[in-house]
Amino acid sequence: MGSDFYQLYILPYAGIIIKICRAYTNSQEDFEDYYQEVCLQIWRSKDNFNKESEWSTWVYRISLNVCLTYLKRRKSGDKEIVSNALPEEAIDDSKAFISDDINELYNAIKHLSETDRAIILLYLEEKTYEEIAEIIGSNTNNIGVRIKRIKDRLNKIINLKD
Amino acid sequence: MTKSIETMWKEGFVNEAHLTAPKINDLYNRKSENIVDKLKSMFDMNIKAIMVGCVIMFVMMSLIGAPFLGLYICFLLLPLIIIAKKELNKTVNLSKGQSSYDYLMSFNTWLKSSIDTYSGYYKIFYPLFFLGMAVQAVVSKAGGKLIALLVEKIPTDIILFGLPYYLIVAITLVTLFFARYAEAIYHWDLSIVYGRQFKKLEELIADMEELRR
Repeated sequence: MGSDFYQLYILPYAGIIIKICRAYTNSQEDFEDYYQEVCLQIWRSKDNFNKESEWSTWVYRISLNVCLTYLKRRKSGDKEIVSNALPEEAIDDSKAFISDDINELYNAIKHLSETDRAIILLYLEEKTYEEIAEIIGSNTNNIGVRIKRIKDRLNKIINLKD
Repeated sequence: MTKSIETMWKEGFVNEAHLTAPKINDLYNRKSENIVDKLKSMFDMNIKAIMVGCVIMFVMMSLIGAPFLGLYICFLLLPLIIIAKKELNKTVNLSKGQSSYDYLMSFNTWLKSSIDTYSGYYKIFYPLFFLGMAVQAVVSKAGGKLIALLVEKIPTDIILFGLPYYLIVAITLVTLFFARYAEAIYHWDLSIVYGRQFKKLEELIADMEELRR
């Protein structure tokens, strides 16, 4: 990858990629793999960027699409694992961020389905319902209802832990 | 809990500059772990492996005195090269910059059409491959001796093409079995490698379709 491209078009948006990849991974090692994969795919897809939307929206789309279709090979075996291969019980993620609250919130987010994770991340990033619907490719009317349901679920999970 | 999730998020990322991006190592040459890229490289590998396999098969079969079988297998494998090349070209349209639903749908459509194309091929390949091997076994010296031994043990007056009828029946039945179950064998093979990912894809699409209704 041309380091100029990385410096100019990826690094300023690294926050978006980090926040999304964290929601789909369970360990620092996985997180770094996902992060690199997203960067690679952004670089590979750069010629398809049609400038109809913001570059940041493009980064959101690619980050989510990559996380949704990532295959990771287990170190000890041959089988692939998928990014939603989380155990049923609560996941005590490594303290990836400085704030305890945010770590707690991420742990709760990881209990959600992959689609719900994408929706809530976009919502927390203050995307409008229209923008969320556009990135996900869904109906705007349903986004509000779904967000309400996700928030209730997250609050329940967090309160149960407290 | 006193804080709302929105406040937790905002306060947690009050200064995004504090987020440390992981180190990037030789990203340009990194092997992609994306399922689309994985399948693409599998098709690419197929092409190379079949080309090499054809040559090896022909040489090996010639060495054991069965050059026609070698040629026959090469002939059977050649369509696979064309199919793999065609499927590789189709992935060009799979842009990851689409909405998640469109991306997953276009990926799913491509995947299904690829599986259908390969299934159609294997339906013909498996039975013909078996038939080729069976014919070679029958006409070989060792095969001749074995058939003679078989006729001695299970004598019969019904001889077809110089073979006891039950051998013809057995070969026909196995060929039919491969023709009938080729698709299932291929699907089973795929599900071992990509089963979980395919299931996840179906669930994701179902969930997103619910959101679109």
